[in-house]
Amino acid sequence: MGIPNYAVHLDNPAMQGFYEGLAAGELRISIDPESGNWLWYPPEVIPGRPDAVVGWKKASHAGAAYSFTTIIRSLLPGDHSAEVPFTVVLFEPDDAPGVRVPGVLVEADGVEPACGMRLEFVALPVGDHHIAGFRPAG
Amino acid sequence: MKVAITGVGETAFLRKGAQPLLHMVAEAGLKAIADAGLTPADIDGFIGNRNVPASDDVGYALGVKERLFSACTDVAGGAAPAGQALLLAEMAIRAGLAKHVLVFYGIQSTRPGGVYSYHAREPQKAAFEMPVGYFGQPAYFAAMANRYAHDHGLSEEELASVSITYRRWAELTPSAQRREPMDLEGYRRSPMISTPLRAADCCLTTDGAGAYIVSAVERARDMPHPVVEVAAVSMAMNNWPHGIVFTQKPNIYEVPGAESARRAYEQAQVSPDDIDLAQVYDGFSISAIVQTEMLGLCERGEGARFYHRGDAAPGGRKPVNTSGGHMSGGYVPGINLLIEGVRQLRGGEGARQVPNARLCAVAGLGGNSHSTTILARA
Repeated sequence: MGIPNYAVHLDNPAMQGFYEGLAAGELRISIDPESGNWLWYPPEVIPGRPDAVVGWKKASHAGAAYSFTTIIRSLLPGDHSAEVPFTVVLFEPDDAPGVRVPGVLVEADGVEPACGMRLEFVALPVGDHHIAGFRPAG
Repeated sequence: MKVAITGVGETAFLRKGAQPLLHMVAEAGLKAIADAGLTPADIDGFIGNRNVPASDDVGYALGVKERLFSACTDVAGGAAPAGQALLLAEMAIRAGLAKHVLVFYGIQSTRPGGVYSYHAREPQKAAFEMPVGYFGQPAYFAAMANRYAHDHGLSEEELASVSITYRRWAELTPSAQRREPMDLEGYRRSPMISTPLRAADCCLTTDGAGAYIVSAVERARDMPHPVVEVAAVSMAMNNWPHGIVFTQKPNIYEVPGAESARRAYEQAQVSPDDIDLAQVYDGFSISAIVQTEMLGLCERGEGARFYHRGDAAPGGRKPVNTSGGHMSGGYVPGINLLIEGVRQLRGGEGARQVPNARLCAVAGLGGNSHSTTILARA
């Protein structure tokens, strides 16, 4: 299985917290600055409060796959044919139900991906940045 | 005051066409005007979409004299513009702002930047999805299909039966883009894009355009074709922004189709049992399965088995996408499905004609919006 390599584009600096977390080996999720509740993905505008900025909080590194797909033909701009196949999972941290973090399934040779499979977060270095990776738990 | 669809027109549906978008829209518009027995000078209302040239340009290209009413729909992508445009046309005619409204739409899937380039402009997708390779409609809908399979069960044969059904209709449709027969083995030869979706599970890449004319039913009675009345048109939306809608909805394969269908059936005072045929927005086989259920053609969770039983196929009890849909007929989001509904209700579509067709439901999906239209032969 391959690993996708595509540059991170952050139009909104408020989204940087996720990548600061990855660089520190943590899965950080955006929160509403008033209530402290998870607010993911970080919206461009917090509903009704355009001047507010999201905060960031470490989420559980243990969780489950909400869904998944194995990419056989990458549709990313540019030629990424050497990076396929790879499996993307939508990961739900145990302490953040309903929050779904897309990441790459790793260390899973011989494992059939499935909804509900238990996973553990790992920060994956790719080029000059990190991406979210998830490996089978246990 | 009830309205009717009095004229329809399309260009050829091509994998890659030579004409610019404005040219294709003008060609489709002129065909629709002629089909209605009108001339460009008779058209006084114009409704486009943010993804196609504005009526300033289209009106000039058609050679119209005056534009008393014009509007631009803002719903993204798919077929929902068909519903949104139809609502606006109905309002304009009822308000006396126009007599004959031209609705037009077109697509150049092969334009530079590719068909998925608009996704890259979504900040959340660029920030969190593209770096892990989660990009493009097939990937998003593949994850939906896997979740649907987890919740309801979905065998390969059941999934395949959707595209095989639409291909069978396309075989009977001279204007369809993909008419070569496809059985299960042919489906299995189709390249896998993003598991479990193969190329055959995806809508086509099309350069083409479609247009239709909306007029008051009273005027339609004096026009060339049997009257096809708009018995209901309804929209519903889930209010999730486009950057979020494919991953963070409570259930990623749910669309607001059940609500738009409920409202439309109520408005038309009919039930799903009354529907003779349907046109369902089939961007992907999984989205067609879900919307088929939401239209009430079968129970929730039974959509794939509905197709696998042959219920939607030629000769089936509830024919769906009778010109091949977007997966085999051509992908001019939504509008060619509505046009096929009109043609079926007029009658005379040869081998693919659904016998005694009186009521057709049209389900349209576009981003976070959904429309259901009920067409009725008066």
